[in-house]
Amino acid sequence: MANTVVDKIIKEIEAHAPSVESEHVGRVTAVGDGVVAIDGLSKAVMSEVLLFEEGKGKKLAEAMKTQAELYGLVLNLEEDGVRAAVLGDTARVAEGMTVKSTGRVLSVPSGEELLGRVVNALGEPIDGKGPFKKTTLMPVERESYGVIDRKRVSVPVQTGIKAIDAMIPIGRGQRELIIGDRSTGKTTIAIDTIISQRNEPKATRPICIYVAIGQKESKTARIVEQLRQTGALEYTIVVDAPASAPAALQFLAPYAGVAIGEYFMDAGRDVVVVYDDLSKQAVAYRQLSLLLRRPPGREAYPGDIFYLHSRLLERAACLSKEKGGGSLTALPIIETQDGDVSGYIPTNVISITDGQIFLVAELFNKGIRPAIDVGISVSRVGSDAQKKAMKGVAGGLKLELAQFRELEAFMQFAQDLDKATADRIASGQRMVEILKQKNGAPIAMEMQVAILYAAGQKLFNDVPVAKVSAVEAQLAEFFDTKASKALAEVKKSGLLSDEVKKELNKAIEEFRLAHSEVFSAK
Amino acid sequence: MEHAYAQALWEMVEGGAKPKEAVSKLLATLKLHGREALMPRIARAFARIAARESAKKSVTLTIADEKHAAAAKRTAKEALHELGIDTEDLAIQADDSLIGGWRLEGRERLHDASYKKSLLSIYNRATQ
Repeated sequence: MANTVVDKIIKEIEAHAPSVESEHVGRVTAVGDGVVAIDGLSKAVMSEVLLFEEGKGKKLAEAMKTQAELYGLVLNLEEDGVRAAVLGDTARVAEGMTVKSTGRVLSVPSGEELLGRVVNALGEPIDGKGPFKKTTLMPVERESYGVIDRKRVSVPVQTGIKAIDAMIPIGRGQRELIIGDRSTGKTTIAIDTIISQRNEPKATRPICIYVAIGQKESKTARIVEQLRQTGALEYTIVVDAPASAPAALQFLAPYAGVAIGEYFMDAGRDVVVVYDDLSKQAVAYRQLSLLLRRPPGREAYPGDIFYLHSRLLERAACLSKEKGGGSLTALPIIETQDGDVSGYIPTNVISITDGQIFLVAELFNKGIRPAIDVGISVSRVGSDAQKKAMKGVAGGLKLELAQFRELEAFMQFAQDLDKATADRIASGQRMVEILKQKNGAPIAMEMQVAILYAAGQKLFNDVPVAKVSAVEAQLAEFFDTKASKALAEVKKSGLLSDEVKKELNKAIEEFRLAHSEVFSAK
Repeated sequence: MEHAYAQALWEMVEGGAKPKEAVSKLLATLKLHGREALMPRIARAFARIAARESAKKSVTLTIADEKHAAAAKRTAKEALHELGIDTEDLAIQADDSLIGGWRLEGRERLHDASYKKSLLSIYNRATQ
């Protein structure tokens, strides 16, 4: 043992004043699959934290070797006892073990120190960078803000993804669902949104929280590394409840994430929380409920499965000035089976959120990425938050694309098309190409505006479809050097003034002349 | 179902009914509903309830060494008073892992005045 520890212990012994406090206890009568039945604890309250006394009967040296304290969470209050979920390794619980009531509801630490860190569902650091020194405890279960405390969503969350920022804008304080089959790019959209926040001024940059629920550890490690490499980890907190974690921790992780976020929101900051994904949380909760012997309902989910998600997502808010003006944006992710959005959990979450981004495997396999189905994707409140410049260039885009999708299907059967239809198809094909975007490469709002403005000026109409993406990339570079003043103005004011338009038009013409070979090659 | 019957039987006995009378009433009810076959299971459930209830009421004083039982009873007087129990009704048990002091457990309360608890809390604070 290090000398410093010995010194500390001597000091502690000298200062120690023994006290005999009366503690409220119960006794474990049954253990199994992460759930324990406890006799006694008649004064326990729902969601109370319990402490399992592992040291009983063990010699001091053995008791000192015990790992971190083992906690449980009261989930059922019954006539002659309680049932609780074990927040750790169930193998450490034995029948007859004494369980102490702590008198506090589950809380997680939050604060600036958590930025750049990876924590578990209890807020304990798991990235090997040591414990936190100064944090504030935030209750995991808390009532959401009421009507009076909220205001309308008015500031956008820039995802850096053209298709979303232009057609399905998200506002700070909104709840936007990302839904789709497996491997359709749901997590990519969420991570790109986090990375995109580096383009925001530091003072107003949202704090990002990524909650991984039931994910593979390798995937979470890859995401953390990607965030680190892009410099996004410094304003991000990762809450990890992997597939190997007990169901109780997977159920709690989203609440821990939102509780951490609320600390920043209460301090007047903006927060973006990604829940990846709530389908897995629902499955974990179903497991827990069945073990707790709660009556199963549809698809064996418990009766309060809707409330599980509604009480979580209601905690997303855009607070009034009186409440500090902070916001918490929720980006829940739901995985569908074979594109079926009418499943139990998807319909629940769709009805709770303020819109959804629907990703389609068919588009993804065609190489259209992000594979967003514009037809059924919607943002119910985000347009209020969209910058005027973006609104100006993106108006009508959604309709144009939806019409193109209709015509695209028709095109396969028709031999001769009239000019108007052919033009619409040609324009639609180019627009699809323009909206394609590589993952991990979010684009700043002003650049998106400039590109969409150029598209609106029919710049790409003369470019072969196959070359649109390449030309777009060249155009972005060109704007960076030749229209930097206009871009800065759009970023600053959020408006597309006549002067800005003039400068962009000039740059577009210069670009057309400089790359005449592309425009004549149609 | 047997648990519900056993619980009802327990409540009848607790309410002052004579055991023989309570059992015959239960038997009559079971016969009426054609559930006599449940009787052995009801008996087992009743035994479990009785064990649990007696455990709830019993209070155990644990000490490191039986020699110190009298001294422990004296120092634990206040805690015993809080539990509403006389020293005669205490079950005494020795556990040398306590090192010293005493530990009083029962009726959903725990008073831990053992040296082990103090040393563990000192160790935990020092190593945190």
